[in-house]
Amino acid sequence: MIRALRLSTRTSGLMLILALVATACGGAAATPTQAPPTAVPPTEVPAAEMTGSLTVLDWAGYDAFDFWVDFQNTYPKVTVNFEIGASDADIYSKMKAGDQADIFHPYTGWLQFYVDEGLVEEIDTSRLTNWDKVPDSFKKIGQINGKQYFLPWDWGFTSILYRTDKIPEGVDSWAALMNPKFKGHVSTWDDGPGAVTVSAYIHGWDETKITPEQLATIKEEWIQQRDVNLFYWAGEPELVDAMANGDVWVAYAWQGAYATLLGQGVPVAYANPKEGRNSWVGVYGIRKGSQNYDLALKFFDAKLAAATGNNVVNLFYYGHSNQDVMNGITDATLKQAFSIDDPTILQKTNFTPNLTAEQLDAWTAMWAEVKAAP
Amino acid sequence: MSTRRAPSRLTGYYFGLIALLYLPIAILFVFSINANTTLSFPLRGLTLGWYKNLLESGAVLRAARNSLVVAAGSSAVATALGTMVALLIARYQFRAKRLLVALAVLPLIVPFVVLAVALLILFSALHVDRSLWTIGIGHTVVALPYTLLIVVARLAGFDPNLEEAAMDLGANYPTTLRRIVLPIIAPAMVSAWLTAFTVSFDEFALALFLAGTEPTFPVYLFSQLRFANRLPIMIALAVLLMIGTLTLVFIAERVRRVE
Amino acid sequence: MLDRRATFWVLYLPPLLWLGAFFVVPLILMAAFSFRADMRGEVLQWWTPTLKQYAGLFAAGSYWRLLGISAFMALIVALISTALAYPIAYFLAFRAGRRAGFYLVLLLVPFWTSYLLRVMAWKFMLGSNGVINSFLMYTGLIHEPLTALLYNRNAVVLTLIYVWIPFVALPIFAALQRIDLALFEAAADLGATPFRRFWRVTFPLSLPGVFAAFFMVFIPTVGEYVTPLLVGGSRGSMYGNIVQDFFTKAANWPLGSALSMIMLIATLALVALAVRIVDLRRLIE
Repeated sequence: MIRALRLSTRTSGLMLILALVATACGGAAATPTQAPPTAVPPTEVPAAEMTGSLTVLDWAGYDAFDFWVDFQNTYPKVTVNFEIGASDADIYSKMKAGDQADIFHPYTGWLQFYVDEGLVEEIDTSRLTNWDKVPDSFKKIGQINGKQYFLPWDWGFTSILYRTDKIPEGVDSWAALMNPKFKGHVSTWDDGPGAVTVSAYIHGWDETKITPEQLATIKEEWIQQRDVNLFYWAGEPELVDAMANGDVWVAYAWQGAYATLLGQGVPVAYANPKEGRNSWVGVYGIRKGSQNYDLALKFFDAKLAAATGNNVVNLFYYGHSNQDVMNGITDATLKQAFSIDDPTILQKTNFTPNLTAEQLDAWTAMWAEVKAAP
Repeated sequence: MSTRRAPSRLTGYYFGLIALLYLPIAILFVFSINANTTLSFPLRGLTLGWYKNLLESGAVLRAARNSLVVAAGSSAVATALGTMVALLIARYQFRAKRLLVALAVLPLIVPFVVLAVALLILFSALHVDRSLWTIGIGHTVVALPYTLLIVVARLAGFDPNLEEAAMDLGANYPTTLRRIVLPIIAPAMVSAWLTAFTVSFDEFALALFLAGTEPTFPVYLFSQLRFANRLPIMIALAVLLMIGTLTLVFIAERVRRVE
Repeated sequence: MLDRRATFWVLYLPPLLWLGAFFVVPLILMAAFSFRADMRGEVLQWWTPTLKQYAGLFAAGSYWRLLGISAFMALIVALISTALAYPIAYFLAFRAGRRAGFYLVLLLVPFWTSYLLRVMAWKFMLGSNGVINSFLMYTGLIHEPLTALLYNRNAVVLTLIYVWIPFVALPIFAALQRIDLALFEAAADLGATPFRRFWRVTFPLSLPGVFAAFFMVFIPTVGEYVTPLLVGGSRGSMYGNIVQDFFTKAANWPLGSALSMIMLIATLALVALAVRIVDLRRLIE
């Protein structure tokens, strides 16, 4: 027994030391997958000659050249490396865990956390030549505590997407997602805060001030909603498939799905519910302590430029924060998807507010209980 | 071979199951030549355009290459470690034996996503950048129980007298292991290696958390699922990979038959 | 014997160190996280331990029920896939002859295509416009598509069985392979019918492989989350989905860690129970 104990303590001590040595060596010897960040050369260097590298923590797909084509063309010698984040929570977790990316791409709802945790730098907008093309309402979305921490970039609507041939009477309220008439043909996004938002709209509650009693009601509602819900969608292709083949008639959806289905000739419409549509905005932030602040600003400026913006609109069917790009949309499908012809649409839209840590915890826990309920 | 029945029910069962296994693959193939970007009937015309797009899509191909590299590396390590533990279990008695077995099998019980976060915390604490190496390390841990169980099932009951005989004849233990035991358990090791490779190649729960700038194929695929217009390219790649592997397998079989 | 001793250390240290560094230490960290109140501050810092997360979980009873259901689903999947895979392993070991390797790899090749895509294709097969429904409607057996094939627990179980079968065949095959064919001769000499020979000789000898196979499926399936996500629908969530949600949607590592610890302990208990019943010691002695 004693011998075994001695053996095991010796072994574990040895084990710990060797493990630390191994991982330290492993870290040092690992093939560098990115060039180490270099100090930004003085601005006298012409753009075409400028060298350096940037790392961007972004969502999958956004690493494609189309979405930073202006930067690529203006600074062809700068290397841009991408790390992929799978979700807002993933990006937040990575940044908290000390990810060394210079730039990251969260969406509205999550922005307060980065500021509270001191993870993001303020943006010097005076150095952005395209900044004046961004409407004030969008600029404000990137401001926390009065300071411009984030650059608004992509945006879109959330509303109810429905098959006009299955629901000829149309849909005019978020309550349609809970309507027993559509039993087995509803699909909503797999997201707690999203569900709370919908309930807040339906009941006319202030979504920034949900009380525990209200949250309990919301939980019960969504447990009931499972009876009419076919499945929770996690990505737009799932939803598009299901609506195209008629399994789903009415769904919580972003306009990307709408545009895709319209393009396929499926008879769908994107509702203007009486409670108003929701809108979300994707923003870019610079990590606090990044060595590449100047280069990051140049990246931001290029992200706001026209060619990049047009690609976002035409390839992803997302909106772009550059107003000129939005005004320049001519495609009929896209105009319909963004309700371009309705100048008051943004006034009728509820933008996603930023959550507090307590809200995020409470609302995600609520959703977990909805999924776990018998 | 003892009693030999006609290639009857069992063979039929095997091929029936193979057909069932490959049916979704066949469906995937049909959609890789489908002109539409969604998976639904009726098909809207056939095209090879997706394959063309694939060849131009450097990112997709790189992701596939990354998966191959990670799988090859991690399966080799997992097989080696698993065999070591299997030998220990089958041939030695020592106090910490139960502990070691439990430890080696425990990764099966831990959900991948949990292990993923645990490893993420570890690597961040040690300031090790996330990369294909970190994914590979995660994969060795989850594959180890499989390799261990496969090799140990082969070793269990394997007559130790063979080794005794070799050592009586003057071989030392390492040589005995190398020349007697290893060749006999080699098929199990290959089985274990194949398993570990398969586990790693397609694994994405760990890979998603531990990926740095280079994604593996499942990670890349999962993240592309957000964008419907990318899906057919991914399907085209999956189909190509499969056709490629099947071709290799058939060629290997031909070669073996010729020999 | 000196070299036997030395060999022992050569065999013992690498796996031990590897597992220690990349398995034990991370899990200890995760356990520590489960006693953390929230995620404020640095990822790694000192925090005062609290039972707040566990208290919250005990209060919300639905997680326990879900854990039980997940374990039951895993049991069904393991039983059925082992049973269905056994004939495959038998075929490979005794009927395939020299082609066994080829047939084995043929079995595994689909698994070198993406699991995600295969499940999506399977989903297409089960869907209301899918192959099964189209065929049944075409032959007139049904007039409305069967919606019960998808977006529920049954779909999850079915899909998981489909996914696991080839994998499960491997350990059984490995165990069958090592059966000394002389035993069959002996059985035949003693007048045993093929069935009796199977039941009294082959099957018992293959049991270590069968048990290995069963546990290889059962245990990870309890924590499964991808398949329920894709084909489970609103009610098909398993315990693993909840854990995953807390890590990937909520960034609530303490609560997610607490949930994982509970699953870990529950599974350990199940395995300990099973080992008692089945006496896996035959494998390690």
